[in-house]
Amino acid sequence: MSAMTEAAEEREPRAKASVEETPLPASAPRPIRCAARGVKKAFGKTQILKGVDLEIAEGSFAVLVGPSGCGKSTLLRLVAGLEEADEGKLEIAGRDVTRAPPRDRDIAMVFQSYALYPHLSVRDNLAFGLRLKKTPQAEIDKRIDEASQMLGLGHLLDRLPKQLSGGQRQRVAMGRAIVRRPNLFLFDEPLSNLDAALRAEVRVEIRRMHERLGATTLYVTHDQVEAMTLADTLWVLNGGLVEQKGAPLDVYARPRTKFVATFLGSPQMNLAEGKLQKASGGGFVAEGGGMALEVDVERFGAALEDGREVALGVRPHDLRVAQPGESPSLELRVEIVEALGFEAYAYGWAKASGPRVIVRLEAEHARRARPGDVIPLVAPPEHVHLFCQKSGVALDAE
Amino acid sequence: MTLRRPLLVLVALVLALAAFACGGATSARRITVWHAYRGDEERALKEVAARYEVERGVKVTLLSVPFDAYLSKLQAAVPRGNGPDVFIDAHGRLGTFTKEGLVADASGAIGEADVARFDETSVRALTQDGKRWGVPLATKCLALFVNTRLVTSEIATLEDVQKLRATLPASAVPLAYEAHTTYYHVPFLHAFGAELLGSAGDFAMVGRGAEDSVALVRDLTKDHVVPDEPSGALVKQLFVQGQAAVVISGPWLLSELRDEVPFKVQPLPTVAKTGKKMRPYLTVEAAFVTPDGAGKPDAVGFARWLGDDASARTRALVGKQVVATKSAWADPEVARSSALAAFHAAAADAVPTPTSTRLQATWVPADQAIKKVLRGEAEPKAALDEAKARFDDVMRPPPPSPSPAPVMLLAGGALLALAYFGVRRARAPGFRAELTRSLPVYRYVIHAVVTVCVLVVLPLVAGAATSFFAGGRGETRFVGFENYAQILTARGGALLGHGSFYLTLLVTILWTVLNVAAHVGIGLALGLALARPWLRLKAVWRVLLILPWAVPSYVTAVAWKGMFHRQFGAMNAILTAVGAPPVSWFSHFSTAFTANLLTNVWLGFPFMMVVTLGALTSIPKDVLEAAEVDGATRWQRFRHVTAPLLLPQLLPSIMLGSVWTFNMFNVVFLVSGGEPDGTTDILVSEAYRWAFTRDSQYGYAAAYAVLIFLLLFVATRLLGARVDRAKAKVA
Repeated sequence: MSAMTEAAEEREPRAKASVEETPLPASAPRPIRCAARGVKKAFGKTQILKGVDLEIAEGSFAVLVGPSGCGKSTLLRLVAGLEEADEGKLEIAGRDVTRAPPRDRDIAMVFQSYALYPHLSVRDNLAFGLRLKKTPQAEIDKRIDEASQMLGLGHLLDRLPKQLSGGQRQRVAMGRAIVRRPNLFLFDEPLSNLDAALRAEVRVEIRRMHERLGATTLYVTHDQVEAMTLADTLWVLNGGLVEQKGAPLDVYARPRTKFVATFLGSPQMNLAEGKLQKASGGGFVAEGGGMALEVDVERFGAALEDGREVALGVRPHDLRVAQPGESPSLELRVEIVEALGFEAYAYGWAKASGPRVIVRLEAEHARRARPGDVIPLVAPPEHVHLFCQKSGVALDAE
Repeated sequence: MTLRRPLLVLVALVLALAAFACGGATSARRITVWHAYRGDEERALKEVAARYEVERGVKVTLLSVPFDAYLSKLQAAVPRGNGPDVFIDAHGRLGTFTKEGLVADASGAIGEADVARFDETSVRALTQDGKRWGVPLATKCLALFVNTRLVTSEIATLEDVQKLRATLPASAVPLAYEAHTTYYHVPFLHAFGAELLGSAGDFAMVGRGAEDSVALVRDLTKDHVVPDEPSGALVKQLFVQGQAAVVISGPWLLSELRDEVPFKVQPLPTVAKTGKKMRPYLTVEAAFVTPDGAGKPDAVGFARWLGDDASARTRALVGKQVVATKSAWADPEVARSSALAAFHAAAADAVPTPTSTRLQATWVPADQAIKKVLRGEAEPKAALDEAKARFDDVMRPPPPSPSPAPVMLLAGGALLALAYFGVRRARAPGFRAELTRSLPVYRYVIHAVVTVCVLVVLPLVAGAATSFFAGGRGETRFVGFENYAQILTARGGALLGHGSFYLTLLVTILWTVLNVAAHVGIGLALGLALARPWLRLKAVWRVLLILPWAVPSYVTAVAWKGMFHRQFGAMNAILTAVGAPPVSWFSHFSTAFTANLLTNVWLGFPFMMVVTLGALTSIPKDVLEAAEVDGATRWQRFRHVTAPLLLPQLLPSIMLGSVWTFNMFNVVFLVSGGEPDGTTDILVSEAYRWAFTRDSQYGYAAAYAVLIFLLLFVATRLLGARVDRAKAKVA
């Protein structure tokens, strides 16, 4: 706790300066700690980043997520100063750092491989950055003490990295960042080398650390669970561009593009190509892939046209089994059932030539489902997503 | 039953073949002849041998043996009956030949009646203990080559040569010869009434006459009558290019001269000051008959044949030899070659090289003394007295044979201890079971164990055993630890005196430390530079930088030696170009040591560079990036991350490099050759000198080798422990 407040105090003057310039109302959004503006980067002939804008508010946790090759790690390395942008601007704490070397950026980074100094003890690993800055020994000791307490490293301080387990190394890597009290924490897929159980544990630990320190964080991952659980703001990258940003639940509930819709959520959203049909009573029905889904007219509004070709989507979790007498949106012919105990996923199709459809079944239905069954399903209109077939953009975001 | 018949046929066939082969071997008359001739001389020999074959029906196998290995091959082959029947060699080794029983009395080939057919000096050279040991074939001695374009006057005295200085252009020298080589100094010695080896086998190049002769040469050099540091190649070059009016050289120069300059050959002049002739050493090439050959009339006949009139004529005309057979010189065709005739005339005045084995030990101290005086480091008397002391030191009588008790006791004790531990091990519980279990494994390693034992362990043990003996070939005797005692007490001299073990060890350690430091420093710097991602043409640089390593080290060493030549080397050319005074590289310890060092650094850095490049790839990139993010500058990243991670990986190579450098014989031997005055010799080159230039003191040299081994063994064990510790930390 004290580490955090002190860190905050240390940054106070800078924050004050900006406050004085533009007095902010109490409810104003927090100032921007790190920003990228129109950043482009190519390696040889391969354009990795094609003009990315990014803003991370003071004290917030931003997660960059996207498939491999989308440029998220490159963006992180640009922010760290390990690569230099071809075009665009980078700001950290109000300062233009586009051409500044890492040591002038006051950042700390946790690497995927942890990148601990193999020849140094845990204590020396933690102290490394501070010693380079000629921090007094007493101060170094104090910060190491705090960090090792926070991360439970006390008994490991005199060991060498090779004597630590993967989880312990991960914690040391985090400790090395914490003791620096930097402007900005950077995480480069820090959990991908851990096993599943440990990953969940450390994920919680990272979130806890963030809550305690209030540290501004930029976190890169390809794992959507990490992205969803950790982020204050989620930035979905695809093909070198930001595809969508926002609070994780908003992004999940209102994916702006077909890509975001399929990338977030597991199992993937069911998608089919189809057409809009005006229904009696002013409503619209999207038909395709053996499905006829009623559409939320309020949400899509003017974008709804009779006969418009669309991609229709509904998440497996949002489909429910039709009540007796209710008219189903689709009838799923089950091919495979994955039973997970309290729930089950049924894989099948609504139309013989149609795309695969997945549904999550609960309770009774989960226990009873067998391959070959035909299950009538209903998609509530508020959970039906529509995308332009050509551009892939959601109809309500056009 | 059915098999018996073919079997019988087969046996009969084998028997018949064997009988035929044996019969063939006894009926065919064949002899083997060794020689070290090349070119014209070899051609002449072949012609002569071919005639012998035709006339006598004897098959003569001529075998050309490289000159460098000639003696050692004779020593190895003849006593075992694998040697030649007849061999051709210089008479200077006659002492060794008779001592070791490599030759037989050749009276059969050159009888009392034949003596008159040969030059009197040459027969005298081959006579020892009243017996004639070989048939004289040709003579070789120094003579004067005069460039008749530069010199029109008659050269009768050395003073005439000196006077040429005034008439010659500045670019030309009056006299060129290998002034710092004792062999070339011998004529001067003789002109002053001195000699190199006394009749008692003592070092006789001392006293007034010897001092005056050396002083004279010093003055010649000072007055620029003779050039500085003239090597054989340089002498030839100067003469061919018309830059030397007169050179002293032997018949070997004839074959290298074309028509570049008009010249004539004449016997060496007289020194007017003493009124005595400059009489060079005479080498008589002779046909020797081995003990095996002495039993074959064909072999004795061939030796005789080589010396007869017709053969001599062929050898003179085809082989351009200065033949020792008088009749050849009556031949008008032979007489037409004035150069050969001049050499023949010179031979008449020459002094046959002493055949004593002790002559070999005079060359080095005498050379060193002459060089010292020519460099102006010592007066002739001091230098020559020192040379005599060194000769006496080398030729000191072998130590008395002590009782072998201490060595036996030690060996016995070691064996007992070994047996004790062996027995204890064998009686340990479970040993038998373990042994039985691991038996199959031994099948897989036994060939390696045997190979290593035969190729590594046995020679090592044999070498170590040699160190307990002293005395030359044929008179070796056990001396216990006396060799070690002598080495470690500097043979009674000052512990840090000239050529003492400790001084040489200090030089060796300095040599090793400086070399390895430079290797690692340069290798590391280049390795780091080559690992830079932005570097262009990386592959080209890498190949260029590895080149010095790819060239055999002795080739590099010889090339660098040339670059350090005082007058004609590249180093001094560069120094002069930038306005610095030229350096006489091999005249001072510091500069000679630097020359060695530069050469070996050139040879050694690519290895460290390659090792560094390899080790760098094992340093994870993200650790360096972590340091960068942690705020480290480029230097701090190297200092705190790269270096500590690199060092443990480099240590084994550093250890290896240290051992190589410690024993880097090639560079020291070929570049400075121990110059000046043996001060830049390291332990291995010193050991080499004891074995091969100082009266074959193999035991003494072996003791050196054992000491070197022990030093390196202890050093690598200590360093190895450090390496293991450092590696355990990181790996």
